[in-house]
Amino acid sequence: MSKELTRRELIRSIAAGGLVVAGTMTPLSSILAEQAEQGAIRGPQPPGPPETRTPAKIISGKVIQPQRELSILKKTGVLVVGGGPAGTAAALSARRLGVDVTIVERYGYFGGLATGGLVLAIFPIYDRHGNQVILGVGEEMMKRLDKLKFGIIERNKGSENIYPTVDAEAFKYVLADMVLESGMTAYLDCWGVDAILDNQGAVRGAVFESKSGRQAIVAEVVVDASGDGDIYAAAGAAFVKVKDNIGLDSRIGNVDIEDLVVVTESGNQRKMEFKSGGRDKVQGGRPTRGAPVTALEGVVGSPTPAPHVNWMNMKGPIADGLDVAELSMLELKHRKALWANLERAQKKPGAEQAFLLETAPQMGVRLTRLLGGTKRLTLQEAKSGAKFKDVIGYGGTYGLAPEFQIPYGCLVPSKLENLLAAGRCVSSEFELADTLRLIPICWVTGQAAGVAAALCIQDKCKPREVSVGKLQNILRQQGAYLG
Amino acid sequence: MMSGKRLPRLIIQVICFAWASALLWPVASWKSAPKLVPQVSPFAAICSSIAVHAISIGGGIGLVFACAAIVKRRWFCRYACPTGLLLEGFAAIGFRKSSWWRRCPAIGRYAALVTLAGAVIGYPVLLWMDPLSIFSSTFGLRSADTAVAGILAGLGLAILALLSLTSGQIWCARICPLGGSQDLLAAAGSLWKSKTDAVATAAPVSIGFLARRSFLMGAAGIGIGFWCERLGAARGEHAPLRPPGAVDEKHFTGLCIRCGNCVRACPSKIIHADMGQAGIAGLLAPTIRYEKKYCLEDCRACTQVCPSGAIREMNLKQKRRYVIGEALVDGSHCLVPLGRKDCDLCVRACPFDAVHIRWDEERYVAYPVVSTGKCNGCGACEVVCPTDDFKAIRVWKRID
Repeated sequence: MSKELTRRELIRSIAAGGLVVAGTMTPLSSILAEQAEQGAIRGPQPPGPPETRTPAKIISGKVIQPQRELSILKKTGVLVVGGGPAGTAAALSARRLGVDVTIVERYGYFGGLATGGLVLAIFPIYDRHGNQVILGVGEEMMKRLDKLKFGIIERNKGSENIYPTVDAEAFKYVLADMVLESGMTAYLDCWGVDAILDNQGAVRGAVFESKSGRQAIVAEVVVDASGDGDIYAAAGAAFVKVKDNIGLDSRIGNVDIEDLVVVTESGNQRKMEFKSGGRDKVQGGRPTRGAPVTALEGVVGSPTPAPHVNWMNMKGPIADGLDVAELSMLELKHRKALWANLERAQKKPGAEQAFLLETAPQMGVRLTRLLGGTKRLTLQEAKSGAKFKDVIGYGGTYGLAPEFQIPYGCLVPSKLENLLAAGRCVSSEFELADTLRLIPICWVTGQAAGVAAALCIQDKCKPREVSVGKLQNILRQQGAYLG
Repeated sequence: MMSGKRLPRLIIQVICFAWASALLWPVASWKSAPKLVPQVSPFAAICSSIAVHAISIGGGIGLVFACAAIVKRRWFCRYACPTGLLLEGFAAIGFRKSSWWRRCPAIGRYAALVTLAGAVIGYPVLLWMDPLSIFSSTFGLRSADTAVAGILAGLGLAILALLSLTSGQIWCARICPLGGSQDLLAAAGSLWKSKTDAVATAAPVSIGFLARRSFLMGAAGIGIGFWCERLGAARGEHAPLRPPGAVDEKHFTGLCIRCGNCVRACPSKIIHADMGQAGIAGLLAPTIRYEKKYCLEDCRACTQVCPSGAIREMNLKQKRRYVIGEALVDGSHCLVPLGRKDCDLCVRACPFDAVHIRWDEERYVAYPVVSTGKCNGCGACEVVCPTDDFKAIRVWKRID
């Protein structure tokens, strides 16, 4: 008897301690406290309600999944599938209009490739004159990073070649903070695997696979921010499948050198200069046509907000981002190559004690599916500065291409109802998708998709019927730049 | 003070001057207008027609003018030459009205002979001394964006003006190869006349002079021409990039008359006067340097304005296929193998789809490669390459 009492007391004290630790995270801590009150029991658990098991069966040599009813995890207003830059921007901006929002993320953190992919460069965000044209919710995220020590560097430089670089962990923290603050429902480690359609063929939610098994989330509108267009593809929307280079980014620690060095600073402009190495070597002779790689002494990358920590981008080979076998082999080979690079880099003065801090949890899959939308944005339109009545934001200048408008039509599937695409899988020509896939532009399409989805609920309309004027007004109110 | 004959001549001169200026400014929207002025010079017309084995419309007019000079000695100088008018003015207000220059030998004739002989082998040595091209180059002052470019543009005429101020008409009468060539033409005309007339008229140039000096000067012209050609050929990969349409490097520096038309015509302002990087023979000839802009795929302006044929006229299709050079990548400076930013600016910039990212499985690294067959050296990749001081991708002279 006295033993049991002690355990209960112990649990109570842990719960109370947890409350203190949880501090400001009120909703989460209250849930935890409630569970503790009910008394989570360590060890064997009492039997739950009976479950119907429907395992796959081999029927005449084929593996067949029997028909089954799925439990509904949640009924929501806007369901955002994917918690990367586009998904978080969509969920946060939709939530601000007061609708019920649920976000589902495949990994255990938010930020997608910007955090888990270690794509730490935030570009292109400026126009040709150096004015930042990507604002809105993405700018809010960066402003929060500004306040953190080692959160973000190279802000507001106004130069295409000097872009902000974020710290992945700081960014994960900022996004967790923003998601919790917003009051949306979030499910992590939960993989969107299928679409739910009604009798008219309109999307009514999505099916997820997690440790809780296969479950459904029913929603009024779905934002597909999966990056790969998994949900619209499952629902039968038109799309183009593409292949691009797939790499694996990484960070190395304990380095005091970088591949290209920032030396001079005058006003807002910094100039990159090469520290040593190639310069003299190259001026003596002409590179050959085959362009052999001479930078094989080991790459040490470029700086991040964290001191003595560099990050490295990897282009990688062209591969199929939807092929599990190919992806698995690639990921293993990439990790081997990164270790080999580290060993070469350690021979460089200033990097002798460098260690491989982290290989990205997510591979750098660039493009897989491109939606067939009501508008297919082309590179020519972007280059020629085409103006759109349904503009929802801008992409920054990149190389010889100027800043360009992104129309709402890029997010709306040509036929499928009740779904909006956001992020890298929106509707555009492959050549332009190569720009649209970049982190800050995913914020732009994400924010627009989120607001539009909320408007669908408020105005009881379909995504293609959303009042463009209203959408643009709200985006402007939320601080987005529409020209 | 003005004689009865002087006034109508002056009027014609002023009209020609105004006309040439209007073409060079250019007042009309006709793109090829600036090339007409240097082309109609009889000296330039003869030499460049021989050198490029072709006669342009302007060159045809120049040849007609040359024929006229056989009959009427130095009529071009007296009535048409805008430089002549200017220099006459300078000589008139000059502070030294002496006539010591009359003792100076007639260098212009030698210059004309040397150039003519050089033209036979495709290298008209002193074509750049043509006064109409010097007049044309002065118009570079209008579009010069740097002090050096401005000084260079005005330098030729400034020297001639200074010469006229201090030494009277020494340029027109003694040094100018256009004048000299007219003298030679007139001499040839009188030679022919004397044969038919059987009465030896007082020829301005003696027959003996013509025979001996022509031979010597011809030999000198061919010698210098060959020497300069060899210099041009020897530069090989270090030769400067030339504007699209340029003839091969060994003849280019000779054919180019340094009129500056191409420099002014280029909307990207990538054509600059060579400051001696290509040796003495290439001094002030146009070279291409990519800084902020590249050679636009929908432009052929420089090919439309060259009066001497150093830059051939090309249609857009031909111009796009003209190889200015080839882009080469230095992997040790390139951001792609270094993994800094997800850089593929050169790939995106290339108007001809000539740059691609190649993945090297063995070395496990990506780097840009240039398809030689597609690259024409327009420099778009070099312009966008973000490695500031030393571009990882640069256009080099093509060596085959």
